[in-house]
Amino acid sequence: MKIQELAERLELKVATKVFDRDVKGVYISDMVSDVIANAKAGDLLVTAQAHANVIAAANLVDTCAIVITQGKALADDVVRMAEKAEITVFTTPLNRWQMATKLYEAGIR
Amino acid sequence: MKTEPMTRRYEMVNVRPGYLMIEQENHTFARRSYFAAERTPPLEEYREGTQFWKPQEAAQTFQFDVRDTQNGKVMPFGELVGLLYYGCCGRDSTIYQIGDLAHDQRISLYVAITTEDEKGSAPLPLEKVRVLNALFNERLTSPGKKVLILPDLFGLRREITYQQIAIDFGLTSME
Repeated sequence: MKIQELAERLELKVATKVFDRDVKGVYISDMVSDVIANAKAGDLLVTAQAHANVIAAANLVDTCAIVITQGKALADDVVRMAEKAEITVFTTPLNRWQMATKLYEAGIR
Repeated sequence: MKTEPMTRRYEMVNVRPGYLMIEQENHTFARRSYFAAERTPPLEEYREGTQFWKPQEAAQTFQFDVRDTQNGKVMPFGELVGLLYYGCCGRDSTIYQIGDLAHDQRISLYVAITTEDEKGSAPLPLEKVRVLNALFNERLTSPGKKVLILPDLFGLRREITYQQIAIDFGLTSME
């Protein structure tokens, strides 16, 4: 599934330009060190963190996109950094567990 | 939805969770950092000869070794604190400008930051830098995307804060 289709199905709010890619899997974590060690290329990263180092970690492991949970907003410089790295960032008012459930229901496993 | 298994030469092994500790000497204000593979960060002040060292900051992070699957050799990376993304540096900095140029060629620039003591940052041998680059580039799947990890040739450790490095400062205070 492409991230644009997934975003529409899960009613995610787009925080950056959309750079459409296939979603290969999901990784849920709030630790950038954990993301660097364990996330895989093509994973959709679900996190409550909205700071610049999340973009740095997501770019390093080549995640397909990021979903920031609990309605957290991104600072303008973080949006610019994500767009430059061609990483799509979505936000959602849901928490990580609710997001995980919706992703599973959408067939992302 | 599963990712196809890929053959890679290098793999991250012996991943050890712990803390990056930054401490300062009470009289000389010398700073040093080290990795503590403990369940809680060691925050006690302690004496070492005539010096008194006091922890200043702690960040959750991990250490790892890299195994070469072709010959089984394991290369330790105990001196590596973390990676600094050029985009997390000031726009007028040299590293940002170099990173910006590299970005035009779809190369993402990172700088490997190492532990420091009173004499300066620990050196990261070029062979280790090569292995680090291979490890992270082998993981990428976006067409044309590359990561370039450089040793700290720019003395960035003296200019940046640890919070700019991709490690987990302040996580315990997250609401």
